[in-house]
Amino acid sequence: MSTETSFARVIAKWKAERGPLRILSASGQLGYGIIEKAFRAGLERDLHLIGADMGSVDPGPYYLGSGKLATARRSTKRDLRMVLVGALTLKVPLVIGTAGTAGGDVHLDQTLEIIREIAREEGLTFRLATIRSEMPRDLVKRQAKAGKITSIGPMPALTDAEIDGAACIVGQAGTEAFVRAIDLMPDVIIAGRACDTGIYTCLPEKLGFPMGPALQMAKIIECASLACEGGGRDAMLGTLEGDSFILESMNPQRRATPMSVAAHGLYEQADPLSVAEPEGVLYLQDSRFEAIDDRRCRVSGGRWVPTKQFSVKIEGATRVGSRAIMVAGSADPVFIEKADVIAGLVEAQIRELVPPKPENPYTLYFRFYGLGVVGGQPVTQKPEEVGVIVEVIGEDEEEARAVAATAKQYLLHAPFPGRISTAGNLGFPFTPPELTAGDAYRFSVYHIMQVDELAPLFPVAVEEVG
Amino acid sequence: MRLRDAARVIRSKNAGPTQVTIDLMFDDPKLYARALAASSMKPAVIAQRYGVADAEVIPYPAASAIKIVLPRRVIAGSPGDTDVYGAQQHRPMIDVEI
Repeated sequence: MSTETSFARVIAKWKAERGPLRILSASGQLGYGIIEKAFRAGLERDLHLIGADMGSVDPGPYYLGSGKLATARRSTKRDLRMVLVGALTLKVPLVIGTAGTAGGDVHLDQTLEIIREIAREEGLTFRLATIRSEMPRDLVKRQAKAGKITSIGPMPALTDAEIDGAACIVGQAGTEAFVRAIDLMPDVIIAGRACDTGIYTCLPEKLGFPMGPALQMAKIIECASLACEGGGRDAMLGTLEGDSFILESMNPQRRATPMSVAAHGLYEQADPLSVAEPEGVLYLQDSRFEAIDDRRCRVSGGRWVPTKQFSVKIEGATRVGSRAIMVAGSADPVFIEKADVIAGLVEAQIRELVPPKPENPYTLYFRFYGLGVVGGQPVTQKPEEVGVIVEVIGEDEEEARAVAATAKQYLLHAPFPGRISTAGNLGFPFTPPELTAGDAYRFSVYHIMQVDELAPLFPVAVEEVG
Repeated sequence: MRLRDAARVIRSKNAGPTQVTIDLMFDDPKLYARALAASSMKPAVIAQRYGVADAEVIPYPAASAIKIVLPRRVIAGSPGDTDVYGAQQHRPMIDVEI
């Protein structure tokens, strides 16, 4: 029995055979339930790497700020067990990015704890490399002062106070960090916050594949089968041939067609024709999509232009207070007609009964679902029913709850002209209808930081597990 | 003709927490061209429709699609947000005449 690690094994094997690289994307969001059948089908394909992404900024600032995972521990453990056992049994390298939803040290450490627990339960022994992604604040401040940090979209310029006030600041590790982790010749790599592409580009980069097609493939397969017609969460196989790659879903019913793959280039991208990475830019103007059969597509044309100036996308979240909400509904036509006016009256009443602190006033939002809360434009016809959420962000839980409870009582019994339902304006779905929702956060950092060196920002380490 | 009658897909999603992007995908390249040429699809008109300072309209002929990029009025998940993922901001485009 050979004791060589998974990375050592596949690198030696590839060097002996050359040929294409077969890379499986097990999941775009590990922890929400990997579809087992497609994953198992993928394991049959003589793989060089299995990858999975575990997070993003999509679920909002709460997870980065609070240190918590968006996925339930039980589901996270199930998925991690599936990919760990699958990869280690076959001695295929496993690479996981953005550990624990947000990729801070606390998220990475919780993920590592689950992994060590699985290793004990399954009797697994392996070499584990980690990449840490929390940004040193003194460096961020220095770069901000030197004018090396730019806002993304309508984000204010970064101040020292904002940098100090953030609960957590992470940077997105790129291919470079993953390659340093490969150099430690592990079986498994787990990264904190990382570009989801780095998971899949590191081995091609290590073996000298052209980066354009490798990165273009990574950008597509990181979402698993989402690039197929009608989407899908099943594992996706990318076969990197060199200047081109082939996409194939591991669910035989999912079809990667030239149109579905081309369209996927739009997904969650502000610019469908270029993708900025820490080490350069991928240009997609010359992409070609060609059907191999009715469910496999060959793609080529991704052009990689390395930059001299490295840049890192940094993300930070800051606590804004404690949140409490009140949930209800109304079926009363007069209440629905006058909801906005009633909200104004009740708000004035609440501010009288629970006076806001002048130095740190609570904020209060009345949301009448059915009256144009969600879709960005007013409704033309009043609905038969509305859902009501009153959201409070207070200094602490006690204040937030006090305001929410007052809102509940006074909205329930608010008098207004023309009222016919004089016993109560609201129906509550459960008791208590006011709920505390923990700390509330906002994204305070979402910027591009220029740096001269990437390696010091993303330290790698290795440990023997089991 | 309204966009909902011309496009196969009208969807929105965050592109990071500070921007929202709307994708319009067409089966018929002629309808794609028609939408792209419509005065209602000019960036300034779309920006006004959404009540934001500016909008970007990007043609994506590879998939007969048009991408619109808008700044979010509230950064995703900040107090006052009502659509953290930005997945329901396509509504104002649905009935746009092209």
